[in-house]
Amino acid sequence: MPTLHSTLHDAAIRPQEVTVHTLDNGLRVVLHPDRRLPLAAVNLWYHVGSKNERPGLTGFAHLFEHMLFQGSEHVSGTDHFRYLQQVGGVANGSTWYDRTNYYETLPAHQLDLGLWLESDRMGFFLPALTSEKLETQRSVVMNERRQRVDNQPYGLASERIHELLYPPDHPYHWPVIGYMEDIAAASLDDVREFFVTHYAPSNAVLTLAGSFDPDDALARAERWFGGLPRGPVPPPVAPPDPDFGGERRERLTDDVQLSRVYLAFQAPPYGEPGWYAADLLARVLTSGKSSLLHEDLVYRRELARNVAAYVLPTELTAPFTVVATANPDRRPEELERSVAEHLERVAADGPREEDLERARNRVLSGLYEDLQTLDARADLLSQHATFFDDPRRAFDEAASYDAVSAEDVQRFARRHLVEGGRAVVTVVPREEVG
Amino acid sequence: MTETAATVDRSGPPPAGPLEPYRFPAFGRRALAGGLQVLAAPVARAPLVDLSLVLPAGGRFDPPGGAGLATLVSALLDEGTEARSALEIAGAVERLGGRLETGADWNVATISVRLLAEFLEEGLRLLAELLLTPTFPADEVERTRRQRLTDLLRRQDRPGVVASDHFNALVYGDTTYGRPLVGVPEDVRSVDRQTLVGFYRRHYAPGSATLIGVGELDPEGFAGLAAEVLGNASPGEAPAASEIAPPPAGRRVRVVDRPGAAQCELRVGHAGVPRTHPDWTALSVLDTLLGGKFTSRLNLNLRERHGFTYGVSSRFVPRLGPGPFVVNTAVANPVAGAAVREVLAELERLREAPVSEDELRDTKSYVLGVFPYTLQTVSGVLYHLENLTVYGLPDDHYAPERYLERLEAITAEEVLRVSRERVHPDRAAIVAVGPAAELVPQLEGLGELEVVGM
Repeated sequence: MPTLHSTLHDAAIRPQEVTVHTLDNGLRVVLHPDRRLPLAAVNLWYHVGSKNERPGLTGFAHLFEHMLFQGSEHVSGTDHFRYLQQVGGVANGSTWYDRTNYYETLPAHQLDLGLWLESDRMGFFLPALTSEKLETQRSVVMNERRQRVDNQPYGLASERIHELLYPPDHPYHWPVIGYMEDIAAASLDDVREFFVTHYAPSNAVLTLAGSFDPDDALARAERWFGGLPRGPVPPPVAPPDPDFGGERRERLTDDVQLSRVYLAFQAPPYGEPGWYAADLLARVLTSGKSSLLHEDLVYRRELARNVAAYVLPTELTAPFTVVATANPDRRPEELERSVAEHLERVAADGPREEDLERARNRVLSGLYEDLQTLDARADLLSQHATFFDDPRRAFDEAASYDAVSAEDVQRFARRHLVEGGRAVVTVVPREEVG
Repeated sequence: MTETAATVDRSGPPPAGPLEPYRFPAFGRRALAGGLQVLAAPVARAPLVDLSLVLPAGGRFDPPGGAGLATLVSALLDEGTEARSALEIAGAVERLGGRLETGADWNVATISVRLLAEFLEEGLRLLAELLLTPTFPADEVERTRRQRLTDLLRRQDRPGVVASDHFNALVYGDTTYGRPLVGVPEDVRSVDRQTLVGFYRRHYAPGSATLIGVGELDPEGFAGLAAEVLGNASPGEAPAASEIAPPPAGRRVRVVDRPGAAQCELRVGHAGVPRTHPDWTALSVLDTLLGGKFTSRLNLNLRERHGFTYGVSSRFVPRLGPGPFVVNTAVANPVAGAAVREVLAELERLREAPVSEDELRDTKSYVLGVFPYTLQTVSGVLYHLENLTVYGLPDDHYAPERYLERLEAITAEEVLRVSRERVHPDRAAIVAVGPAAELVPQLEGLGELEVVGM
């Protein structure tokens, strides 16, 4: 009788048509036709993110992302959004540690509009740059920081955990959105230099997914992007060794009702076998009501109101984090100790096969759910092209999860969650402090 | 194609190709013996199925003194049935890699499960089990009560939630919409198991339910299985809800003092109309133009022109009762007064002059153009079928010809008329959550003003 997992895997992510081309100027173009809906997704990854910043200029990649929506030589002011929304396009961008992406989903017959907008800002951004635009976006980003971090419960704690986990000169130490004083200090020259250094075709991947003929789509990409100059090779990021032994701890107060504890550890970089072991362990621990930490800490003992574990898909190294919010009148120390006991148990005995199966099935179901939309598929293709120079790997990721054994998970837990260093941040309600 | 990379014309947006219209997925409708309706939409996006049971059991039925009742009942459905315990139910779904959710909004309660298509039968049997045989075990009732009280306690951590709660209280006063959907501590503390079971008996009659299935399924097979699993369930009708009549009021300001807050959360608005109102399409167009997209009047003003905020939106909130019209934003504290005045000015502007033909055309083509985006997922299609069910909309409501027809009927004069009839800056409730010492001086003169503590 086939196991549930083999049944899921045989169904697997259905074979997807993907082709890759590289233009003369180094731009990689990934094509994935899908004619089921009259839509086209345009997705552009630049291989630059907050990791390319330095202390004193944090938050810059994100501020820059905002600037790139303010027009280019042939596209004025807010016309970027106006042109897209006029035709029913949905667009956005985001900045992260390792990359910045820009994307739009359009009615299929408007593909050229997306290509025109992206190629214009890749090739002709500087002539449209003004200090007035920088000042407005600086103000918008400061508001964004306030809204997402400073005015959110536990906002500063979620930054502090990274500051403790990574040394001050490590690119993952500072938050992607940056610190307020650095956002305030960014200059127009910084913007120009950043663009010239990082926003070159050779540092980018363009993915098109949706209703088009691939030969026609490639010709269009060549027409709009082919004439852009190659650009320099950006300087490499040489991070210091993040490993540290022992613990770094901090206790904060905040305007919150419940205590919370964050525990963070080092995991192998995204793409390595150890990363997939870490991801499966995160799900064994906290994915669903019947997961280890949820069943024990939230359901049975009511020590925590909720608990979450996750590992980020980052390039240099990956943070593995467990966050648990204590119920009223439960001590965060007790919560931390209970979490640590579970981690030690997994490190000693490994996960049960049934828990690992459940985690694997959740991953596979999740991949199916996520990959329904063109923009998610396009982004995943850009991701694998950028990180691994192999977009087709996106649809084979199930195999990486399949390859993880209970022993692999146990080894990861022992090496990184028990024997390795950790950062711990505890947040307590302000009223509790005398 | 004669253009090359060297000769491509970048001077303006390139011309479009020929339009391909979308198709809304075909679906079948059938009634089972006891009255339960079954909708089935075969959609081949991924080997998934999304199944949902919709019940007339939303927060609109919360009685006075019973805020949160509807959501508590829905939360308890999967916490124990005649056959299985809460952990057994969760384990069964999670073992399959599926997702089970029970919940309620103001209109309805839903029991839904998403899983791989090959487990459709397990999923459907599970939905039937939760609908027909929940047991509301006493220890689960108490655990759920404790968790809900903790969640209510935490609402004050989030200034956006505080702003919305105060706004709804101001606009709706002592009516059902004036209290949070998730309840208030005194009501959650005092509700007993008998009341929960009574609500379930009145509002979860299978004959009043609609079952919706979307995904890789065979409609005949699905209907047959539904008949087997739910066909003999007892008939029943949806109970009537009492009308929600918001108290009339003039413009008033409430500042909720939050010393040391990094930002000011703002809400401006008043009661609107039910989604079933004949003006709803015109209001949706108005919504989008005013504050429903990045290039809306409000966003271009407050964010792009003034840099006051990371984002602002406005909306007539769709409900079976008269949902609110609300402008929603968070701004830097020193500009709170200026931001509120810009919002009021934009509302006045809508009432003073018709929107331009360009704005109207751009808005309509945005609304119609983005629609197929939601058809990419089984849950997106399910969401639209739930809307047809909840609001009693015709089956072809989302067909492109119908959608276009509705939009074409909206002229600039229509938008002006509904603006004048439905948008009332002079009667708005204005809520600001932030440091009162800094906010009060800026908000004086806008209406009767009160300051409350957290």
